[in-house]
Amino acid sequence: MAVAIVAVGVVLLVAVVGLLVLDRRRRAATDQCADLETELERMRARAVASATHATALREALDAIPLGVIIGDRTGTVIYRNPAAALFLDARHGEALVEVAIRELIGDAIQGERTSRSLELFGPPRRVLEVQAVPLGDAGTGAGTGGLIVVEDVSDRRRLEAIRRDFVANISHELKTPVGALGLLAETLLGEDDPEVTHPLAERMVAEAFRVNRTIDDLLELSRIEAGEAPVRQPVLVQQVLDGAADRIRPAATLRSIEVVVEPGPLGLTVMGDRRQLVSAMFNLLDNAVKYSEPDHVVTLRSSAVCAEDGSAWAELAVVDQGMGIPARDLERVFERFYRVDRARSRGTGGTGLGLAIVRHVAGNHHGDVSVESQEGSGSTFRLRLPAALANEEAQAG
Amino acid sequence: MTTAADGEDMGMQPAMTDTDIRKSFHQQLDDIKHDIVRMAAIVTEAVPQGTAVLLDGDLHGAQELIEADDLLDTLALDTEERCYQLLALQQPMASDLRSIVTALRMVSEIERSGDLVVNIAKGARRIYGTTFPPRMRGLITQMGEESAKLFRIAIDAYVEHDDGKAAALPDLDDRLDALHKDYIQEIFETHGREELEIRAGVQLALIGRYYERIGDHAVNIGERVRYMVTGWLPEHTGAAREAARRQTDPPHIEPAD
Ligand SMILES: Nc1ncnc2c1ncn2[C@@H]1O[C@H](COP(=O)(O)OP(=O)(O)OP(=O)(O)O)[C@@H](O)[C@H]1O
Ligand SMILES: [Mg+2]
Repeated sequence: MAVAIVAVGVVLLVAVVGLLVLDRRRRAATDQCADLETELERMRARAVASATHATALREALDAIPLGVIIGDRTGTVIYRNPAAALFLDARHGEALVEVAIRELIGDAIQGERTSRSLELFGPPRRVLEVQAVPLGDAGTGAGTGGLIVVEDVSDRRRLEAIRRDFVANISHELKTPVGALGLLAETLLGEDDPEVTHPLAERMVAEAFRVNRTIDDLLELSRIEAGEAPVRQPVLVQQVLDGAADRIRPAATLRSIEVVVEPGPLGLTVMGDRRQLVSAMFNLLDNAVKYSEPDHVVTLRSSAVCAEDGSAWAELAVVDQGMGIPARDLERVFERFYRVDRARSRGTGGTGLGLAIVRHVAGNHHGDVSVESQEGSGSTFRLRLPAALANEEAQAG
Repeated sequence: MTTAADGEDMGMQPAMTDTDIRKSFHQQLDDIKHDIVRMAAIVTEAVPQGTAVLLDGDLHGAQELIEADDLLDTLALDTEERCYQLLALQQPMASDLRSIVTALRMVSEIERSGDLVVNIAKGARRIYGTTFPPRMRGLITQMGEESAKLFRIAIDAYVEHDDGKAAALPDLDDRLDALHKDYIQEIFETHGREELEIRAGVQLALIGRYYERIGDHAVNIGERVRYMVTGWLPEHTGAAREAARRQTDPPHIEPAD
């Protein structure tokens, strides 16, 4: 602006002195003013554009589901996005993440690209990865600071473990009985005495059945997994509970375990495949009985729950007083073949697929299954399914 | 929390320099507070880690925990040193004085809690290979959770200057004490059923005691926080009564220490 004013002043002075060429000069001055104004206008527009640009960048950083922190050349934090707020001025486990962040900012300023993995015991237990990236060209002393990215890699780590264990487990699960079959058959070849061959043959049958059961379970699981759309008909929750309880009672009685079905909300109904639902509840009951001691009680309970978003759910719970599940295994018991205590589970003849089946039935019905447990006091498994609407209920028998 | 952090950096100045002195008093007090929060974080993370080490028979984790305690000791010494420097150089009054005294006491409570976690790890190492029944595992899990929770609440009270929170700690600690009683009972019963060797039983009983004492340290921290916020004197039964008595006594000048 000042430039413009001065320019105009000079031009005016010249105009006063050169009265004779006044007209031409005046026209020139006006032109020059106009030029300056367009230039100013252009600059203003550019400034506005770059401000908009900065806002957009900032909004993008704010929206990223990773913790993002930027430190300047002196290590002072000049920006952090909302996801990173947790780790600055933090306490408890997060305070240790803060320590790592500040140290890594230091590294980044030195031009080093480092990363560190932090295992927090929480609760919740999780693994965080903190990465440092130098900004600007630190090598030539032109570094402008450091960028820190904090990522929660717990899920990724968990998936890696699942994949790793699955292959190991399935091989083991099939190898053991097949190996036994081989040995038994070999022994059988060298024997003619029926006193010996008969029990050998009996054990072969048992082992063969075991392989068969594992394969059956795997097939059932893959059928359910394939998302074969389940039959959708109204199913009374109480009937599912009674059906599953009737199926488990013989085994429960054998172990002196009482199975109690509590009366739930009258007429509570879900849409789905009754056979699959009973099989899911049976698997939960089977575990409850298997992992309890004689004289314990297993309770089946149903309730209607209203979620925060107003949707209605039916909750089917199996409560036992058994050995419970260690905290570190809680997240993993729903995986195929996962067992807390392999030795014991094998003794009880399971294949480790029960809960995987339950989880897939839940998924197929747009519901979920969860567990709460305290070692030595018992476990509660909850199957949550969307409750059927009133008009659907009317069709239920 | 498993990370190798070196003692350098992070507001840990080894000695006072001119700039430190020029740093405002409150800035320095803030730094001390930060370090206390960091030390406490090491403990609140170490407690569940110790529990996992014990329940999973994780020898490697045990070693890690034992070594991590060195960092806590270094931090404690350094923070303590800076508290004394502040006391000596700034001669703070009233609430500032209380803050520093509180910090000093907290450092030692936190450091001793860290030692207790180390004891848990060492105990876990001694009984390596022992399997204990589910109920006992459940009680260990709960004791671990409760003691870490007490510690977290104590630190929340400290950071938030919340004497109400601090005052709730003794009641919460009763839960831990009750768990501890059940746990000791369970050790006897398990031993009675011949499911636990006497040697392991003794170690486990000691370990239970360590958890209980971590809870006690959290309660002590709570008392320090109340003192910091309100000037309320700790050990309300004995010490407060004694203090009250002293206040009503004819005044006599005590030498400052
Ligand atoms: N109610 C329960 N109480 C204690 N542990 C349980 C309970 N339910 C499941 N578990 C644990 O979870 C593991 C996985 O359960 P899942 O039902 O998938 O397999 P399984 O019972 O071993 O074999 P399967 O059900 O195929 O016969 C079990 O081996 C057991 O360790
Ligand atoms: Mg099962």
